[in-house]
Amino acid sequence: MTSEALDAGSRAVAPAIAQAELSRGPSRLRPPRRTWTIGRALILLALIACSVIFIYPFIWLLSASLKPRSDVFDNMLIPQTITFHNYLTVWQQAPMALWLVNTLFVTVLAALTVAISSAMVAWGFAYFRFPLRGPLFGLVLATMMLPGAVTMVPVFLIWNSLGMVGTLTPLWAQNLFGSAFYIFLLRQFFLGLPRDMFEAATIDGAGNWSIFWRIAVPLCRPALVVTLLFEFQAAWTDLMRPLIYLRDASSYTIPRGLKALLDQFGFGGDWHWEIIVTASVIATVPMILLFFAGQRHFVQGIATTGSKG
Amino acid sequence: MVSTTTGAAAGRGQPTPVGESAEVNRPQRRYRASRRRDTLAALAFISPWIVGFLLFTAWPVLYSAYLSLTDYDVINDPNFVGLDNYKELFADPKIALSLANTVFYTLIQVPLHVLVSLALALLLNRAMRAAGFFRTAFFLPKMTPPVAVGILFLLLFNGQSGLINTVLGWFGINGPAWTTDPHWVKPGLILMSLWTVGSSVIIFLAALRNVPLDMYDSGKVDGANWWQQTIHITTPMISGSIFFVVVVNTIAAFQTFSEAYTAFFGSGNTTYSNDAALFYAIYLFQQAFQFLHMGYASAMAWLLFVIILIITLIQVRVSRRLVYLEGEQR
Amino acid sequence: MRLRRHRVGLTLVALLSVTACAKGVSDNPAPQSSQLGPSASMSGSLQVMGFGASDEIATTRLDLAQKAIAPATVKLVQGDLDVQQFLSAVASGKPPALVYASRDQIGTFASRGAIIPLDECIQAESIPTPDFVPSALAQVTLNGKVYGIPEFNQVEVIQANGNLLKQAGLTIDDVNGSSWERVTAANKKLTKTESGKLKVIGFDSKLPEFLPLWARANGAELISADGKTAQLNDPKVAEALQFAVGIYNDQGGFGKVKALRDSADFFGKKNQFASGTLGAMPFEQWYINVLNDVSPQAPMAFGTFKTKQGESVAFNTGSAWAIPKGGPSPAAACRLAKTMTAVDSWVAAAKVRADKRASQHKPFTGVLTGNKVADAQIKAMIKPSGDPKWDAGTAAVYLANDHTFAMPANPADAEFKTAWQDAVNRVLNGQQQPQAALDQAQKEAQAALDKAWDNWKNK
Repeated sequence: MTSEALDAGSRAVAPAIAQAELSRGPSRLRPPRRTWTIGRALILLALIACSVIFIYPFIWLLSASLKPRSDVFDNMLIPQTITFHNYLTVWQQAPMALWLVNTLFVTVLAALTVAISSAMVAWGFAYFRFPLRGPLFGLVLATMMLPGAVTMVPVFLIWNSLGMVGTLTPLWAQNLFGSAFYIFLLRQFFLGLPRDMFEAATIDGAGNWSIFWRIAVPLCRPALVVTLLFEFQAAWTDLMRPLIYLRDASSYTIPRGLKALLDQFGFGGDWHWEIIVTASVIATVPMILLFFAGQRHFVQGIATTGSKG
Repeated sequence: MVSTTTGAAAGRGQPTPVGESAEVNRPQRRYRASRRRDTLAALAFISPWIVGFLLFTAWPVLYSAYLSLTDYDVINDPNFVGLDNYKELFADPKIALSLANTVFYTLIQVPLHVLVSLALALLLNRAMRAAGFFRTAFFLPKMTPPVAVGILFLLLFNGQSGLINTVLGWFGINGPAWTTDPHWVKPGLILMSLWTVGSSVIIFLAALRNVPLDMYDSGKVDGANWWQQTIHITTPMISGSIFFVVVVNTIAAFQTFSEAYTAFFGSGNTTYSNDAALFYAIYLFQQAFQFLHMGYASAMAWLLFVIILIITLIQVRVSRRLVYLEGEQR
Repeated sequence: MRLRRHRVGLTLVALLSVTACAKGVSDNPAPQSSQLGPSASMSGSLQVMGFGASDEIATTRLDLAQKAIAPATVKLVQGDLDVQQFLSAVASGKPPALVYASRDQIGTFASRGAIIPLDECIQAESIPTPDFVPSALAQVTLNGKVYGIPEFNQVEVIQANGNLLKQAGLTIDDVNGSSWERVTAANKKLTKTESGKLKVIGFDSKLPEFLPLWARANGAELISADGKTAQLNDPKVAEALQFAVGIYNDQGGFGKVKALRDSADFFGKKNQFASGTLGAMPFEQWYINVLNDVSPQAPMAFGTFKTKQGESVAFNTGSAWAIPKGGPSPAAACRLAKTMTAVDSWVAAAKVRADKRASQHKPFTGVLTGNKVADAQIKAMIKPSGDPKWDAGTAAVYLANDHTFAMPANPADAEFKTAWQDAVNRVLNGQQQPQAALDQAQKEAQAALDKAWDNWKNK
């Protein structure tokens, strides 16, 4: 009951993506290109206005990073003097390149492992029937409600006993075991795939793993992309885990490095705000680029009408 | 295959979805054997999660329950004190304060979050070409490190010269002191949190795309205008996702930490703090890492867990009435 | 089937082994004095947490220290001491060799047994403890034992905009706290508000950080000399708080002052003094160097902060070196701490800075080291800069350095500080009146102190 009720939550998401993949081709329901109406103009205007609000703080960061130290707070969007000196300083003062590499390493591993393992687990819950399936899935969902604080110290002790404190491993390795959120999402997705496809494969002699890996996974590409994207973002901006597990500045990830910079150059310290904003920009830009690149893939899924054939 | 497939969302019971296996068609004799095969296979697929659960969830949960009965500062061994921590929990005025702050924040932030992200998704749904750009724009804040967001808060919401008050000034409104006035600190933080609705927008967008357009056609035939369509067609059809976003964000809002911590409790160096921004997670963090009361912090974490559990269960109960579950047989 | 059973077995083993490891590090023995001192062997790589080698004062001494502990090497974990980082290092059984902490953190760490008493280290390496500024040493002494080697001293001086003072017909004496009535009056004269917006802060009493300063000016201490009894709700403290808050209220409330203060370009050339938006405030001496760097033409006026009796006084803060329990190389750590704070190291570092400043045509304003002997020698290196106002600043700083006080160490440092700072913030935010706020703080602080001292005894 609980699981079914929560099921519905992502039921709308998954099939939309499934739909788009499975029912390509022009649909009679795609609206023909309309002419410019007041309504559409208004919508565009509203979108632009909202985008400005959303982008502005980042533009402010960007502009501040190009200003010399004394101008950072002069509240002018276009810097009076443009200087790239800050970027140079950040690169010299902090091992930004190293941090970027570390963060990339952790994030890619985290995203890949969570996608694969969650897909596996989701498939297990979706495709097969077995006793206690419902309650077990309910347990999976229950773990979503567990505040991180409850397990923080004991999990640290586990990693400590495995001798991995100080390495990057604890930052991503838990994703080897799946994550409730994505298991939930992917399961909904799998539930929407038609079974006869798989029965056909079974008749052809395909084993469970082949069915999963060769048929189900490619079909859920857009959902996987969403999983990768969300997890990428989460791992990229995670501060808690690096804070607890990383000691050596050379192993820091970007959020941890940013905090170290803040400690060193921000409040109470030597207050080099221009360094902070520059580091923030450097921290965000790769994600933007990646998002832009990844968009094409699930846009392909979502952009088609998601309608019924 | 292509044209006949629908999907669970349609719930129209066409080619049976994966989840509903046509077991009844199998001969009884092979039923048990295939069932066992299924069980083993399922467990094989699910095994990663089971291992992870035992190692990283079950044991830590039990151990943290144990820790909550001790006085533990990480440096020395845990010292069993029974229910002292819990007694202290109920007598600690800061617990009540931080809970009140957190509940206030959640109650207001979650509905606003849903509304704003839904509105943006509705807008995005109509965007044609530059959709990619807008999508990136809305998701962009989510990619900014929370530390930076906290700093931005202090700068943009500055009572005298911050951008927010400057813009309000254009409309003749005298903006409050967002960063110091206790009555405006939380609203300020809530507004700031609305900046990161990006992921919910994406979820809603996908859900909106899934609403069959012929539903709107029939609505138009009946003479419904855009607003009525939204209320009576769109919302029920995506109520599943709305519910999902509400649940997930409630859980997240209860644990809000990074932005408020950076803005008000600093890296331990700012002395100005504000009781109005003392959220439960922040107080927990202080107890754990500033005062070195790990045992007490564990007790706090358990209290939070119980609260979240109760609230989520309530939400689930309520959802049964309000959420339209496609194809669900009740 | 079989596989599943094995999986269960393995998990149980993992769980048991992890449980066995969940203990503290209290089993490591303390170093023997024979292992410390000039004859001790140095080896390995020392991890030092909390020290950022950002300027020549730091790097010069670090070079000397590295030579002293060769062939052992130093590995810095840059950035302020991060408590989570430190704790997790301790919990994982691999604490750093040396930590560089703020002096007001020492009490908490010491009382938990996270750092060791340094008496043996001091004796073995002949660290001249009488040379340290007494109040600095008191901050790192708990129960009669020294737990940290002090480094640096920060004192407050009155920093004011000379032009604004003159325009209002005031002098530095009106704003240095020797008479609270005069400060109130000066504040009113210097504050400027335009159409509801605060344009010039008259006097910034710098709450909540400087409550101890105002309390002392009124003749009260926030905590007893033995660090066991909180004295937060002493009526004199309430009086001080009332006064300092009153300064803000006279300017339209703390919110307005903070907003204006926050939006100032504190470290830039349009800082509050250069732009004429601040009359006067007590602040730490390192800011004088910043001002000199970015706005040497600012019309500064300096003086020491004075008590109501007219005595100069300053509340000192600073850092200290401490050796974690179970650290890998206490001998090397001890020598490192000694060398970093040795008179010769300080003097060498100061020379480097003085030369650097001279080559930049900037005045050398001295360094407050926390070591009286070093301070005196460095003071002798200071030459007049040619600009009387900066010289006055330097003079004020050194005068303040001779009249410092600090709160003694106590095992509930963090909670104590939080208690009184929260009280001040509540008053600033208009949520409580001073006496009520301090009463609450007193209760919280005393409870924390009692508990901490109890645990301390029970060890």
